[in-house]
Amino acid sequence: MQQRLSSAAQHSEDSGIKRGDLSSLQLIQDFAEAISIMEVSGRPNTSPFKLHKSASTPLRYSGAVKKVAKKNQTKESGNKEKDKQVEYDNASSEEETAEDLVLKPTTDSSELADAGAHRISLRLPSEDSFSEETLVSEERLAEEAKKKNEEEETAAKERQAQRQMMAIEELVQSEKSYLKMLQICTVNIRNSLNNLQPPPPDLDSLFLYTEEVMNVSSRLLSKLEQKQLKPQNPEFLENLCASFLSLSSEIEAAYKEYLWNYNHVSLVENDYKQNEALWSDIIKVVKSAAPEVNATSLSFFLVMPVQRIARYPLLLQTIQKHTDPSHPAYALLEQTANTSIALNCNINEYKRFREVADKYKKTENLTIMDKINRLSTHSIAKKTARFSQYIKHETGMAPKLVDEEFDTLEGFFNILEYGILVLLENVETYLFHLQRLLECKTEEFDFDMDGEKAPICYKEIHTALRQWILPMFEKRMRTLIHKPLCELRDMLVGPKNLIRKRLHKLLDYEVIEGKPKLSYEEQAVANAYKTINTLLLNELPCFNGLALQMIWGMLGTFSCLHRDLAADMEQLFQGFALQLPHSSCHPKEFQEWVETAVLEGARNLDILCQSVQETLNSPVVQPLSPSCQRLLKHLTDKHGSGKIFQVTNTVVGTRDFDLTLTKGEFVALISEFDTRGDKRRWLVDSGAKKGYVPSSKLIRYHQAAEDPPPSPFLPTSGNMMAFRRHSCIPDPQLIHVTSQPLFQVVAAYDFMARGNHEVSVRAGEPVRVLESQDKRGNSEWSLVEARGQRGYVPSNYLTRMPVGTGSLAPPLH
Amino acid sequence: MNWMPFKIGQPKKQIVSKTVERDFEREHEKLQKLEDQTKKLHKDMKKSTEADLAMSKAAVKISADLLSNPLCEQDQAFLDSMTALDTAMKRMDAFNQEKVNQIQKTVIDPLKKYSSVFPSLNMAVKRREQALQDYKRLQSKVEKYEEKEKTGPAIVKLCQAKDELRPVKEDFEAKNKQLLDEMPKFYQSRIDYFQPSFEALIRAQVVYFTEMYNIFSQLTDQIDEAGLTDEQRQKETEAKLNELRSLSIVADD
Repeated sequence: MQQRLSSAAQHSEDSGIKRGDLSSLQLIQDFAEAISIMEVSGRPNTSPFKLHKSASTPLRYSGAVKKVAKKNQTKESGNKEKDKQVEYDNASSEEETAEDLVLKPTTDSSELADAGAHRISLRLPSEDSFSEETLVSEERLAEEAKKKNEEEETAAKERQAQRQMMAIEELVQSEKSYLKMLQICTVNIRNSLNNLQPPPPDLDSLFLYTEEVMNVSSRLLSKLEQKQLKPQNPEFLENLCASFLSLSSEIEAAYKEYLWNYNHVSLVENDYKQNEALWSDIIKVVKSAAPEVNATSLSFFLVMPVQRIARYPLLLQTIQKHTDPSHPAYALLEQTANTSIALNCNINEYKRFREVADKYKKTENLTIMDKINRLSTHSIAKKTARFSQYIKHETGMAPKLVDEEFDTLEGFFNILEYGILVLLENVETYLFHLQRLLECKTEEFDFDMDGEKAPICYKEIHTALRQWILPMFEKRMRTLIHKPLCELRDMLVGPKNLIRKRLHKLLDYEVIEGKPKLSYEEQAVANAYKTINTLLLNELPCFNGLALQMIWGMLGTFSCLHRDLAADMEQLFQGFALQLPHSSCHPKEFQEWVETAVLEGARNLDILCQSVQETLNSPVVQPLSPSCQRLLKHLTDKHGSGKIFQVTNTVVGTRDFDLTLTKGEFVALISEFDTRGDKRRWLVDSGAKKGYVPSSKLIRYHQAAEDPPPSPFLPTSGNMMAFRRHSCIPDPQLIHVTSQPLFQVVAAYDFMARGNHEVSVRAGEPVRVLESQDKRGNSEWSLVEARGQRGYVPSNYLTRMPVGTGSLAPPLH
Repeated sequence: MNWMPFKIGQPKKQIVSKTVERDFEREHEKLQKLEDQTKKLHKDMKKSTEADLAMSKAAVKISADLLSNPLCEQDQAFLDSMTALDTAMKRMDAFNQEKVNQIQKTVIDPLKKYSSVFPSLNMAVKRREQALQDYKRLQSKVEKYEEKEKTGPAIVKLCQAKDELRPVKEDFEAKNKQLLDEMPKFYQSRIDYFQPSFEALIRAQVVYFTEMYNIFSQLTDQIDEAGLTDEQRQKETEAKLNELRSLSIVADD
């Protein structure tokens, strides 16, 4: 029991709970039981020393307890709660206390310094099993020392040497077992977990940095073993220290990432615990992978690096305590111990920085409701204070805390950000147009020019272009430029948020800066500002530099892509250009040739168009009825040929002086506007009447159409000859009478008068037309005078005969 | 006789022989297809040159915006690179502009000109069709009167109809003949007409890409790490990105 107790006490001290309430012995006992069970299971290579016993151990121990207890009285009030927590932690999981230790290495080390020799002697055997033996022999030696001083000294030295050796051995042995456990964990357990169906989510993130940690650990061990020295050899210690020092930066790098990730590991494991089936599977895997240890969770293994890094300083310090200051490696040892402490500090700092960074670098996507819910007097006060401080800066009432280094960095970051955004936007525009170019299927035309070289070449070129050259270019653009640029843009968010947050914290900080004494909260504010500032000062230059390099590199790539594209294109086009009929032409000659060819082509087309339009679009000339012709003649004589218009559509007069005209009728233009100057109504003469007609219904009548006389009655068909025979009885008198010297109006057909207003005519009988329409303006009837009688006949019964034919008539006459 | 309304205007006599009509249809179809293709090519060409120009303008904007960014003031080497890039882009754009002008002159304008002929041809075809309808209508009228009794008014009407028919017939025949003549000629003309355009197009591109290759070879020598494969580039970028990601100030995911 005692032995257990002592080991438990040592352990509790080791785990950073030395300020624990040790006066309650029963508690310790219970606790020790729990711990020792874990010890046994946790350390497979327990040493045979374990069975040694010593009567004096409890005495010493109680002394230590007293001392510690005394110390505790002073801070008891503050620590009681904490202690309970610690006990709880210890009982439930050894790992978490170890993690606590990591968080507080500074306090630990300071307390280490405070603690007296008792503590050191207690600590010496640490948690290893040969502790009992050392304690026993130590006690015995101490008693003997009282008797014999001389013997005591030599013996003390021996003891010292032995302790030192054991401490060293402890370090080496524990490192070995530690590495072994890690290997079990990462190899066996990880593989078995991977084989689970379905594999646990996020598994890789659990083992994210274990490789590095194992690597550095195994390197440390190999360095120790390299020289094949016995731990008793003084050089061994030297080698140990040198190895540790040489690896210290790597240890730090490996462990800080691991420790940082450990938070995440715990979260993931907790997630696993929620899923009972999965968790029981995991436990099974863990138990089967490492049956020799009583592991009940994944974190049993995964916490090991966390504990290990915190143990280095303790182990090293233990060695140091048992090393004679005259030892050749003492100075080195001291340095190593300090380094290991500094290592822990650095890791802690790193963790703190990461936490601050994590807290502020993410953009919060809050809804307005969330924001309102967040409002509290505290936040409003904070915001108001910031705002007023900001106003003070802007108005010059309060000097702004200037950090030139930071301002330069921030300025650079801002222009960099702007540059990246603009570049990305431009690249996207570029890609958009490239996409448009790709969509133009210019090779998909069919001019049915199969035998021609040029179009075939063109088609082949463009097929190749669109099928692979341009798509490849686009793909390269996207993967080499666009995608990284997008990722770079996304990375701008973190620093941007931190810079903004820094300003907020700066404003807070400035308010409290002058105060001589800071409250706890104010201290936190100051710390937050300083942390963010340091963080940005440390990392922003790196960020800026890398980002600039990336942009630079991308532009280089951009140029290179263009070069490759141009090379491909040139090759492609050149290859086909050589097959063209004019490939041997000098560019200039070719240019001229093309231009003349194009002009020539255009001219030919013009000619074609003209001929098509002229001949094909000429209107069909319908023969004019005799009355129309007469009217036309009448109007032409009266007004001149240029004034004749034809009605395109039937017009119905609606107003006074409007004319009602049918389609095809002729009118002569008198004026191009009405009395009120309206140019849409023209004053025209229709032969019988004068009046207004909408100008849009009129079209100029081309006299040219008359030039080739319509001559519909030219004797071309046999039928016509028959009529002609009738018409060949011209009345010379009547010819004389007609107002038209060239034509004589004759009746084409017989017409019997049906009433006294009509007049009968015989076919061929010459008549004189008095009116080419009836009284109502109907042009279907004409008023004629025949044989001295006046009356109406149908206008279409009348026809005109050229007088010239009259001269041919006499033979028939 | 004409008790079926749609039969009105359908002369019994075959006015246009079937072969003529078939020839005409075939030529006309060919022309219509050619018209569609010309229009399509014209449109595509225009679009593609526009996109081409827009692309080089966008490239110019990339470099111009970077050059005007104060980033350049911070770093002389960067400024030099950007200046070189900008010069190259501007030269490329100038050459591209020249190329596009050339294409406009030798390809797009002729295409436009060519497609402008189609409306008048189509109009002519329409006129021919109208003339044919007129011809048919009058022909059937004449036929109708010929069947009637030879009374006085009927004869008058027959004569009138025949008189009317004659110019229409002549008109149609002239149009028909001319179109049958012109259409194949026009169709044939496409070969000589477009041949120079395509040659010019290809040669303009050759000239342009030769220049572009020169410009960008120089530029690449100046600002790019020589001889990297795409994988190497990707790896390098990925390495840089990872380096950035490992910074605590960079928000992950």
